[in-house]
Amino acid sequence: MIEEPEQLVRRAQGGDTLAMNDLLDQLTPYVGRICGPIALSNGPDATQEALVAVFRSLRTLKEPGALFGWVRAIAVREAIRVARQDQRQVPADLDELPAPNDPQLLVDVRDTLARLTPEHRALLVLRDIEGLDEQAAAVLLELPAGTAKSRLHRARASFRKAWGS
Amino acid sequence: MTNWPQAELDDVRRLHALAAGIPGAEVTERVFNEPLPAVWDLMWSDGRRFIEFQPDMRSVESVQREGDRITMLVRSTFGMRARLQGVVRPGWCWLQSRFLLIGMAATEDPTGGTRVALTGGVRVPGRAALIPLGVRRESRKSLDRLASKLET
Repeated sequence: MIEEPEQLVRRAQGGDTLAMNDLLDQLTPYVGRICGPIALSNGPDATQEALVAVFRSLRTLKEPGALFGWVRAIAVREAIRVARQDQRQVPADLDELPAPNDPQLLVDVRDTLARLTPEHRALLVLRDIEGLDEQAAAVLLELPAGTAKSRLHRARASFRKAWGS
Repeated sequence: MTNWPQAELDDVRRLHALAAGIPGAEVTERVFNEPLPAVWDLMWSDGRRFIEFQPDMRSVESVQREGDRITMLVRSTFGMRARLQGVVRPGWCWLQSRFLLIGMAATEDPTGGTRVALTGGVRVPGRAALIPLGVRRESRKSLDRLASKLET
């Protein structure tokens, strides 16, 4: 029987390392889904760094029910940090983003993402994978709400143009 | 959208993540030339070979398995018994008793060999913490013993 994450957090905080093991099993795919699109080829490094940060500070999580939101914030932060460190990835100067469910994104998401900055990729992940609205994504990324919104809004035309060229 | 790139984490990386939550734990790694199945067979093999390279283990008195969950009764070279409980899968082993923590991971290395990582030691009783004495040294000795077994 798979134990609820909240229970696992409580047991882990109480010193049970098997609960930590089981929590790792549950969190790894989730963190990989966030870190993969943001850190791209550095996804495994970012996922490892995020989970290291999660387990190092698990004792400080006061509300186990908030686990996934807390982990999400750590994963996004670590993925952006790791992606920025990689000098090989030089995204194009493209401050535009595709719309959610844009069929063009289905063609090749990885190519599309590689043209964006890590911060833009994080916005996409938060909006399209995590289902956050622009305001919540802006808060998590510590961006002014207007900045996030305008970036998302202005994005589509030039992004499509890039695809069309 | 269904084709977002997803990052995968191998078992050695997973061990680093888990050990990060255990004050006093150190992860020691080594790459062996042999392929993963051969290395893991020496490291685990239903628990029989496990004690041959882990420190201070003399015998396995019983092993109970249910899926990937395991309970083992082991006896140390000093005669003390420990009831280890944990999870064992190919390439992954995590065991705890009240006084011991044992973590082992192995994954294919890009060189074609196998990357092995070990952690563990004497547990602060019931806590997610190790007594930080000789942790790295014991893991190095265990890897040396594993290397010797792979050579023979």
